[in-house]
Amino acid sequence: MLKLIIFKELREIIGSAKFVATFGVCSILIIMAFYTGIKNYHTGIQEYNDSKTAQLQQFETVTEWGYVTSNKVFLSPEPLACLVMGVSNDIGRTATVDGGSLPFIDESTYSEQSVFAVFRFLDLEFVFQIIFSLFAILFAFDAVNGEKERGTLRLSFANSVPRANYIIGKLTGSFLALVVPLLIPVLIGMAMLPLMEISMTNSEWARLVIFIVSSLLYLGVFLTLSVFMSCLTKRSSSSFLFLLVIWVFSVLIIPRASVLIAGNSVEVPSLNSILFQQNQMEEKNSLEYSKRSNEFFQKLMLERAKNGNNSQETADSYMAKIRNFHEKLRVEYDQKVEAFVGRLYEERHNKQIAQQRLAFNISRLSPASLFTLVSSTLCGTSIDLKNQFYENAASYSKSLAEFIKDKTGYTIGTLPMSLFNQNSQVQKKPPEPIDTGEIPEFMYQSPELSTVLNAALPDIAILVLFNLIFFCCSFLAFLRYDLR
Amino acid sequence: MTESINSLSENQVVLEADKLTKRYEDGVLALDALSFTIKSSEIYAMLGANGAGKTTTINLFLNFIEPTSGEARVMGIVTHKEPLLAKEKLAFVSENVMLYQNFTAIQNLDYFAKLGGKKNYTRDDYRDVLLRVGLQEEAHNKRLKGFSKGMRQKCGIAIAILKDAPAILLDEPTSGLDPKAGYEFIQLLDNLRSEGKSILMSTHDIFRAREISDTVGIMNQGKLVMQAGRDELTDKDLEQLYMKYMAGHMEAAA
Repeated sequence: MLKLIIFKELREIIGSAKFVATFGVCSILIIMAFYTGIKNYHTGIQEYNDSKTAQLQQFETVTEWGYVTSNKVFLSPEPLACLVMGVSNDIGRTATVDGGSLPFIDESTYSEQSVFAVFRFLDLEFVFQIIFSLFAILFAFDAVNGEKERGTLRLSFANSVPRANYIIGKLTGSFLALVVPLLIPVLIGMAMLPLMEISMTNSEWARLVIFIVSSLLYLGVFLTLSVFMSCLTKRSSSSFLFLLVIWVFSVLIIPRASVLIAGNSVEVPSLNSILFQQNQMEEKNSLEYSKRSNEFFQKLMLERAKNGNNSQETADSYMAKIRNFHEKLRVEYDQKVEAFVGRLYEERHNKQIAQQRLAFNISRLSPASLFTLVSSTLCGTSIDLKNQFYENAASYSKSLAEFIKDKTGYTIGTLPMSLFNQNSQVQKKPPEPIDTGEIPEFMYQSPELSTVLNAALPDIAILVLFNLIFFCCSFLAFLRYDLR
Repeated sequence: MTESINSLSENQVVLEADKLTKRYEDGVLALDALSFTIKSSEIYAMLGANGAGKTTTINLFLNFIEPTSGEARVMGIVTHKEPLLAKEKLAFVSENVMLYQNFTAIQNLDYFAKLGGKKNYTRDDYRDVLLRVGLQEEAHNKRLKGFSKGMRQKCGIAIAILKDAPAILLDEPTSGLDPKAGYEFIQLLDNLRSEGKSILMSTHDIFRAREISDTVGIMNQGKLVMQAGRDELTDKDLEQLYMKYMAGHMEAAA
């Protein structure tokens, strides 16, 4: 019985002209998303290699390692990041490191090529998010009430068909009817990866497969929701309207509203305001510093006048006291400022995290947002990418500093000017250019599979939960459904 | 398993309404202590205006709704107590047979036959039954999208025949059919009766009811206001009786 209903559902959906047209468009979009992703990856690799070569070329004429302190590192393109772009184009892909201060990340790709910010690439996540949800709604909005309108429900239940079997068969059949054909272009797209010379690690393949499974779960949410709505409403036109409203809320409104709500609930101080507070603190400190210096100087002068000893030795001792006092005062105020600014930055960071967490938690009400979070986490293009790149660059900066120390014997920041001023030295023979091949190479380390999975699993679990909830709701609603 | 028609003894009661009453949640009394019996090889026509309770009676036999009191029985099985078992012994043809528009006539027959528990039919069986109900062979493998109401109705009755159930429920089966299709349909019902089927038919068509039915019941506002055997009625009597009860209904409504 169940098998019969599943096969009927498969045949009914796949045999319709609506399916043929929609499937054709979806297939083209999915294959196009893979194709453009692969092309973008190749372009990205070319740009990445060119940037690295240009970076090394500027050191080819350099004869002293001291010049290598200011270096640029580049975020290498990754195949999965080209399929699911996430924030990868919105953050800078180049960081300047000098072995000393903190790395500085340059502006984003879109700041250089702003046209792409207006007309963004069609990536796989976008195609799945929009197409899969609409596809599910389009084929399941009238799953039950449509059968009632057509009179086939009465005819079916004039037979000894248990309601539970019927609804389970309907849900399973609809899911298979949508998933199996959609997997065809997805598999073609996956086959295109090696065919178009994209080499992927086992971990990347695993992440891609989990991403596709998640997209099917996402489709399942809208499918079960559509069947549920078709059980709740009498007319198929009503269920379609309700589902369209839910779709707009889920895909367009909730994700944006979550950011707005979080932005209003948790205020994050701007960098300018921190700079302003820092300046104020420094001004205040400067006044205090002058006041304390004057007080100390006057006290010292009084002490000296009281002693009446004006020997050179005494003067030197007083000068040393003043120097020591100034040095101590400077260190004290520097520490104060550093602690104050550090606290401000930490506070800002904590607020950013709280804001981000609140925005993500609110957005999790929407299956579309959940899917975005899952896919960007799995493909390494989530909001954490910038931090990971920054940490990688900072770690590289340290190894660069060690390398320079090995080569010059000095730590960066204490390099003597003589190292940079070759003319001031007596040249016995022309200096030889440095071997650029020795410069440590920056390699972006994408997170491990287990790390990515741990981060994505809660959201995948919520997608599963959504499926279960709507499945149970459809089931229960159909058990009470008026078949007349 | 469906009990074979051949095992039914003559004059065995197949369909039975026993003080069947249905009051909807909004308080409307749709059916008021309706009682009748239909034996094997018998056709019972329920006549009545819209809202008289004809479709409610059929819905109670199919357990689409539960009675407020009383029982609907199919071969002694109370439909709301053992609905799945009762439905094994019932076939149903609705007023406007739609079926699955993307399926061909044979695909529809195959699906509904299997849903009715008949898994061993071949394509030839489907072809034979479609020819029997008068659907031309060139239409057998065409999708139902282009079918007229009469053609769809034929498919509906073919599905009912394939189920080979002892009882058939027909909800206004001739409404919208042209005279030729209507005549063919009546012939078909006559054949089914001769095979031992019990048929409960709701209809507005007084003359066809008179022509084919063994018993005619006139319903008004949920009550069976008159019941008579074919031999007791002439065409004229039935028309007059029907008009009388309808007029009564109109007056009551006014």
